[in-house]
Amino acid sequence: VSDLHGAIPILRLGDILISTVHVDLHDAVAEAFQADVLTMIERTGAKGLVVDVSGLEMVDSYVARILAETGRMAKLMGTQMVLVGMRPEVAATLVRMGYRMEGVRTALNLDEGLAALRSTKAAPRSGSGT
Amino acid sequence: MERLRDDMPHKHFMATLHLDEQELQSRRAFFEITDEELARLKALRPLAEKHTSAIVESFYELLLNHRESRRFFPDEATIRRVKQTQRDYFVGLFEGRCDLAYVEDRLRVGAAHERIGLSPKWYVGAYRRYMQLMLERLSEELPNVQDLRQAMRAIQKIVYFDMALAIDTYLAAHADTVRRHQTAIRELSTPVIRVHEGILLLPLVGAIDSMRAQQVMESVLARVADDQARVIILDIAGVAVVDTKVADNLMKTTAAVRLLGAETILTGISAQVARTMVQLGVDVSSMHTRSRLAEGIELALDIVGKAIRPKAVS
Repeated sequence: VSDLHGAIPILRLGDILISTVHVDLHDAVAEAFQADVLTMIERTGAKGLVVDVSGLEMVDSYVARILAETGRMAKLMGTQMVLVGMRPEVAATLVRMGYRMEGVRTALNLDEGLAALRSTKAAPRSGSGT
Repeated sequence: MERLRDDMPHKHFMATLHLDEQELQSRRAFFEITDEELARLKALRPLAEKHTSAIVESFYELLLNHRESRRFFPDEATIRRVKQTQRDYFVGLFEGRCDLAYVEDRLRVGAAHERIGLSPKWYVGAYRRYMQLMLERLSEELPNVQDLRQAMRAIQKIVYFDMALAIDTYLAAHADTVRRHQTAIRELSTPVIRVHEGILLLPLVGAIDSMRAQQVMESVLARVADDQARVIILDIAGVAVVDTKVADNLMKTTAAVRLLGAETILTGISAQVARTMVQLGVDVSSMHTRSRLAEGIELALDIVGKAIRPKAVS
């Protein structure tokens, strides 16, 4: 399993980590990715994390759970995660399976994700009205 | 596929009916069209050529004397043209050939009939006249009963083979039409409008069943992703009944839109709908809701960092 580490590169831009997931996340890859991200946060003390999933044509409930979990773990370490670029068919499938990834921050694309992290009002959108 | 259908309908139908070499062999086997029968047809060709004109004339007598079938032949030029086509078609039966090129040629006939709206009843009915005419002529030409029987058997096989192709073409064309209408209805029932940069609006009108709800979700998600819209307003002022199912579907759409990184605003909630939703115990706390569309647009603008301001009076 250890050689799966580094399969998904994580870039550092100032105090923000950026990762583009371009290979289909099998369970083991997703787990290795989660460990990589957390290690990276520990090492860099990054304040934000953007995970771009626009390259994924399929996300199963296990991977969705790992991603949501990663967000919560990052938050415990003081890092805000934003999930960006999810494809329409992926979103529809997840919701139909009853998996809404509540609590995970989302944005349309990388730009918007970075803007969301940089904005001073970085409080997560609860969605309960403005 | 649409272009192919319009420009070369017979090619389109060859594809939709999966008419390849394997299918051809299967059909030939079922209609018992052996090489021997084809040779028999070819041998009849001189006789067919001799009687073509008379048979085609008599064939059109039937079609032109019937009040309803006559309307397919508006003028003399058309009649002359179709008679020539018909003569070619008739002689074609005695080519002694039954390959993919033959099938393609036959599909052209079905496609042409479908285009002018000539329904199968005219086609099958007129073919009956053809068979009668052929039997009459062949009875005169072939005094030996055995010869006549064999000839008629071979003709019947190729004729029924042709009719099956023509009817399959009618059905395929009809299926195409139904599909096109369904697509049109689907598009009309979910008209997503771009009201401002990053803001989309979907006015929902009429009843929302589960199939329509699914279409709503799909087109909303596709448009949000295409336009990279930040907000989508779902206006339900025109939705007659909002029950638990409808509400649940709206919530699902909202959740999926959120996963894309955009937000949903639900507007057009009447007093009646508000009352029903609360009484049904529908929890809409995860959605932005407003009673009027105007307020929804204001909220949407606020989300994208804009506002409507009164014009400064000079």
